[in-house]
Amino acid sequence: MARSRTGFWLSVPVYAAVVALCVAPLLILLAYSFFQVSFVAVLKEPTLKNYVRIVGSDTYRWLILKAFGSGLMVAAITAVIGYPVAWFIAKRVVAAKSAFLTLLLVPLYTGDLVRIFAWRMLLGAEGVLNTFLMAFGAIREPIGALLFSSLATHIVLTYNYLPFMVLGLWLAFEALDDRLVEAAADLGAGAVSTFRRVTLPLTVPGLVAGSMMVFVMVVGDYLTPQLVGGASGITIISAINDLFGTAFDWPLGSAIAWTMLAILALAFAGAAIVINRSSLGKALAAGEA
Amino acid sequence: MNFQINRRGLLKTAAAGAAFGALQPFNRAFAATDLVWMTWENLAKDDYLAAFLKGGDVSLTKNFIGTDDEQFAKLRAGGASSVDLITPGLDKVEYYVASDLLQPIDFAKVPNAALLYDTFKKTDLGKKDGKTYGIPFYWGINPIVYRADLMDGEPDWSVFFEGDKYKGKLAMRDYALEGIMIAALYLGIPKDKMFDMDDKELAEVKKALLAQKKLLRTYWNSIGDLTNLFASGEVVCAFSWVPPYYDLSARGLKMGMAKPKAGVIGWCDTIAVPKGVEGEKLDKVFSLVNYLLGPEYGEKLAFGGPYAQGTSAALDKLPDEQKEKIFVKDLSIMDSFVWKKNPARYNDWVALWNEVKAS
Repeated sequence: MARSRTGFWLSVPVYAAVVALCVAPLLILLAYSFFQVSFVAVLKEPTLKNYVRIVGSDTYRWLILKAFGSGLMVAAITAVIGYPVAWFIAKRVVAAKSAFLTLLLVPLYTGDLVRIFAWRMLLGAEGVLNTFLMAFGAIREPIGALLFSSLATHIVLTYNYLPFMVLGLWLAFEALDDRLVEAAADLGAGAVSTFRRVTLPLTVPGLVAGSMMVFVMVVGDYLTPQLVGGASGITIISAINDLFGTAFDWPLGSAIAWTMLAILALAFAGAAIVINRSSLGKALAAGEA
Repeated sequence: MNFQINRRGLLKTAAAGAAFGALQPFNRAFAATDLVWMTWENLAKDDYLAAFLKGGDVSLTKNFIGTDDEQFAKLRAGGASSVDLITPGLDKVEYYVASDLLQPIDFAKVPNAALLYDTFKKTDLGKKDGKTYGIPFYWGINPIVYRADLMDGEPDWSVFFEGDKYKGKLAMRDYALEGIMIAALYLGIPKDKMFDMDDKELAEVKKALLAQKKLLRTYWNSIGDLTNLFASGEVVCAFSWVPPYYDLSARGLKMGMAKPKAGVIGWCDTIAVPKGVEGEKLDKVFSLVNYLLGPEYGEKLAFGGPYAQGTSAALDKLPDEQKEKIFVKDLSIMDSFVWKKNPARYNDWVALWNEVKAS
């Protein structure tokens, strides 16, 4: 009894921190989303008008869709690139494993802006890539679409968030027992079958964790699209920023933020249900896969 | 460590503490009053303020802002009590006054305000019910800056809306107010109607901005970034602030600055005192305000900025070349400026701007 009471009191600071730093700000944001603004006064009379505006606005609907589309695309690209990289570091590198992991993380130490400007030097009209291609006669005019385009945005986003995907997958590969792969081969499974029925299912948790991290970070990143995305670099996050800052429309900004949060929560809940109902999910839950 | 306390030691400590406490008011009387100024970094350089601070009775804490909106958001969210002087745009003072964040300026304590240029004396901006809440402090224009070595001639606003000679090499500031003002200037909407456009006029503006978007390389967000874009040749012409023109000219690039006849956007920042600053501190704040409008500061700003202050206090100290640079050689140029105002339907303007960017 005394022991459980100690446990309760020890957990109080944790709950207090979560409530004060996470739940309370979100609830304040939710409350604001039902208010209206008149010039610089926030009218605290509950209404659904902000949500109606979002549903009725082609701009906000498109920007939300664009954010989730970018998140999915970059998560998929980083998964395809990150999977073999993580396998290589976990299963083929022995002595220099720490060095490889450090190298993987080095770009993260430099800061977002430095990485973005480095990419500008690479992709710009007078950048390294265009200069190289022109020097070798591959092109006559610089390729303008290499920078300030959707292509540039997705290249830089992929580069920025690849380490997060690799780290998740690397942990999954480290936990993968090589004897299971050997056993599959001994029992007659080919390379493809072993991968499909043993390696992939056992590394799916890492893939899911990495994808969720990359997805959420891409959806929330507005600096990269703003600095390398060109005239189409607007994101739903920069629109929220405009509403909170320039337009002083905190209620509409809050409503968009909560709409994003609700869609994300629904998407994750939906994904969890699908995974749980699939045979793979059941196997994972039972610890068989 | 062995720490022992006895009755005599305790009494000694208590007596020393009481004596130190009794000295506090004495210390305070000789301590400098610390003023907190929320401002742009380029306005609070140490050598600009040295003459004011050399007396030693005032010290200054600088609280730098990145945008005017950020400054307003900080004050609106309850930060007014921690600041003694702020630097809102002339068009934004209205926001602060409506939010009851400012106190009126006591002109008896700011004698240099008598030297304000007529334009600023006459303007309704920064005032309410006959009282001034934001004194025009420094001003300038936001022109077109271009790479003269990469363009055929001096451009006007039409370069951002017509033709495709410079398609993909133009940049526009990512700011709804100025972006829409420029479209209105291009469309010939009169200055006095610009900030009260109806649905039909806003629809025309949107159409022009959609055409503009196809010609742009990017929208810029920081002046340092735009300077880089000019330097690297990514952008040859942009609606800009003045600094890239001087910075890149100094580095040897042939730059041009165009002031279209249709009108140039003029800006002006003010100095304003938050509510709650009072007593001796308020006197010192007004003393600082007076210095900021005076000749020493004005001269430093004219050479260091280069920017013009709101008063003519430093005019006699400036050579003609410098006066030309900061647009005070012939003050009639001010008549061609379109001073930024807060549009009645600003939320619609921001929504329109986002629609264009998301198209």
